[in-house]
Amino acid sequence: MLAYLQNIAVLFAINAILAMALNFIMGYAGIFSLAQAVFFGIGAYTAGYIALNVSDSLLVSMAAAMGISAVLSMALALPALRVRGEYFVAASLGLQMIGVTIFSEWKSVTGGLGGLVGVPPPVIFGYTLTSTSEFLVLALLILAGILVVSALLVRGSFGRSLMALRDSESAAQAYGKNVNTVKTLSVAVSAALASLGGVIYAFYMSFVNVEVFTLEMSILLMAMVIIGGTGTLLGPIVGAAIVMALPAALTYLPFIPPGELGTIQQIIYGSAMVLLMMFRPGGLVGGRSKDKTV
Amino acid sequence: MLYLQLLINGLQTGALYALIAAGFSLIFGMTRIFHAAHGATFTIAAFVFYEFYEVLQWGLVPSVMASAVAAALFGVLLNRWVYVIIQRHEGSFFTVFAASFGAAIVVQNVVAIVFGKGLVTVNTSLSRSVEILPELYVSPMALIAVVAALVCFGVLHYVFTHTNMGVALRALGENPTLIDVYGLNPRSLGKYAFLIGSVLVVPAAILTAATSGLNPAMGHHVMMISIAATIVGGVGSLRGAAMAGLLFGLAENISLAFVDPQWSEAVTFVILFLFIIFRPGGFYGRAVMS
Amino acid sequence: MTMPQHDEKVLLEIRNLSKNFGGLQAISDVTLDLPAGVITTLVGPNGAGKTTIFNLVTGHITPSSGTIHWLGEPLMGIAPWRIARKGIARTFQDLRLFSHMTVAENIQTVMERSSWLWQRQTQDMTEKLEQVLQETGLIDKRNARAVDLAYAERKFLSLARIMASDSFLWLLDEPASGLDPRSFDRFVELLKTYAQRGVTICIIEHNLDIVIRLSDTVAFLDQGHILAQGSSDEILKDPHLAAIYFGDR
Repeated sequence: MLAYLQNIAVLFAINAILAMALNFIMGYAGIFSLAQAVFFGIGAYTAGYIALNVSDSLLVSMAAAMGISAVLSMALALPALRVRGEYFVAASLGLQMIGVTIFSEWKSVTGGLGGLVGVPPPVIFGYTLTSTSEFLVLALLILAGILVVSALLVRGSFGRSLMALRDSESAAQAYGKNVNTVKTLSVAVSAALASLGGVIYAFYMSFVNVEVFTLEMSILLMAMVIIGGTGTLLGPIVGAAIVMALPAALTYLPFIPPGELGTIQQIIYGSAMVLLMMFRPGGLVGGRSKDKTV
Repeated sequence: MLYLQLLINGLQTGALYALIAAGFSLIFGMTRIFHAAHGATFTIAAFVFYEFYEVLQWGLVPSVMASAVAAALFGVLLNRWVYVIIQRHEGSFFTVFAASFGAAIVVQNVVAIVFGKGLVTVNTSLSRSVEILPELYVSPMALIAVVAALVCFGVLHYVFTHTNMGVALRALGENPTLIDVYGLNPRSLGKYAFLIGSVLVVPAAILTAATSGLNPAMGHHVMMISIAATIVGGVGSLRGAAMAGLLFGLAENISLAFVDPQWSEAVTFVILFLFIIFRPGGFYGRAVMS
Repeated sequence: MTMPQHDEKVLLEIRNLSKNFGGLQAISDVTLDLPAGVITTLVGPNGAGKTTIFNLVTGHITPSSGTIHWLGEPLMGIAPWRIARKGIARTFQDLRLFSHMTVAENIQTVMERSSWLWQRQTQDMTEKLEQVLQETGLIDKRNARAVDLAYAERKFLSLARIMASDSFLWLLDEPASGLDPRSFDRFVELLKTYAQRGVTICIIEHNLDIVIRLSDTVAFLDQGHILAQGSSDEILKDPHLAAIYFGDR
């Protein structure tokens, strides 16, 4: 039982990390990305590849994953952010689709459809992480770290810049904000943080497979952020908890055939998104915070 | 000969994509609503047609009409019950987009519950290919697709140039604030945008049902093509979106001569990226900097 | 950047500026000088092109022809945020406050010019924040969200942002419209104070009271042309211009 709960907890922490990273751009900068699963994947594949071929150091994998994600995200952001928000959504959608194809086809690096198997356990400061509880501690530490970093960024000048350009881009420009740089940096931060979730995932599962890095996952993450509440620090964590708790809660309802669990879960969070946007756009944590602009 | 075959397939696909993309572009251009649930409209139209034609055996014309009514109802009601309410108190791009997405997810899964997750097809002799030249297989569907697209665009052109409602809709697309000055109501005009835009998916939905078959997740691909085509065609340009849809249909098929099938979807997005980088305005539009 | 003294040196030079949008000629051949420490008001009927001139100076749109020079340097084609960092700031007719941020945050963020991930809060910035809050009377509202403010308070916040921006050319687009008499007086006094400190101000205004009380110079625009320039007395007493302004040509 304990092992089962710990397993859920690790997966929850990973999802919370991904959701928080997405909230950074969606909630604070008003940039909508459908490609979050790709950066999750980049983190996982980078860690897996490095661990299998180069070094089993956790820190090396983390640094490489963050670096690659940040650079790739800037390649996406720089052209797409010059123009309106809808273009970034479309470009991110494109990146998501191409990303999945590359993950599935680039056999030499990603192992193709079979994925990377037998990823060795990570080593940090000479200590090898093997048990579930050790991974849980790691995941929670990273989650806490991301929470702290996010809080510092958001409450400081960068956070104010993000919110200013979300509230009125033209006014932000008129007061000296280099909007493109701010947006691109925020996308890079978001991608780098998401890749950390991928690193943990790769080492925890010892196995990296393309199936979790699809558009479905990106949509799921978006649902977590929206339901929990955009633009709040704790919202994505709440959202992750709720969306993950759904399937478990649903198993207790006797009249739902087990084969339909996933479908019902999606109907519930799809409906939640619609209803929340209609009546409580700030999400569960944020409340009615999205009033008209002035 | 292979190229000719792929070209014909591409025209067939392209004609259908052109219609779908035009519908999305119409809605977005005129109401500025990012109707991510457009793919869901397509799914509903296709499955309603399947239900009436294949399962209930009602005959072609009633089935087509049922499909059109279902698509129109979905579009108009989603606008009236969800989008309008959101726009009343806040209506940012994000909120509408998220709600639209949520609706699409709900539709996809409800359809999955009712019809199952697997592939279903509509049987009709029209989809059977005929070898008209050595190694060149064409089905009557290809012709029907192109003709349907041309007819629809013809009707659309007439509506936009010769009817009051059509002209008002175009004005709405150009300058929403000016509309109030002339005593027209943007909200009620929006209803027509959703009506027409949603009905435009019906030919494509029916033809897809008859050729490749349907599954609940088919809306995703439709949505992606719609969004990509609207951007490549130029935001606000129906003609551009239609042309871009045709381009994507052709590219998707012709690329099969050069790359494996898994990459054909990627081809669409490579084209999209290239446009975003080099010509964000698309074919006809002007890229609007915020 | 230090503020030039009130010595009538011309800071902003607009020469033969024109802008057309598709078929619509918004501005034609506009020539205007904004000297240091002088308050200029642009008046004219709606649609005359006044806001377009502001948008051209701040870089939100680019000219079709003509030049704009600031302290001798050309501004055409430069991104708005760069122009803002040269010392030019503006307000918007529709305010465009940072709605979901607090009053204090609205003012703070204007002072934080760096795009980098973290910027140190200096003593100067803290003092300036207090000073601006004090001068605009928003001290009690420092933690209120912009969207929750009353109308007059929002107008003052819009002014507060520009006050904190350390700019010495202010382009104010109908800054005082709709204010009640008491707020209006406070507003005018505030503008006068900053003008005396050397700020160059250019105002778009329909309120003739402001025009009379504040302006050193008035420029009258109609249909994209400057019809006349002079003291407020000269312009406002001209019957021909009044006819255009009030609509009976």
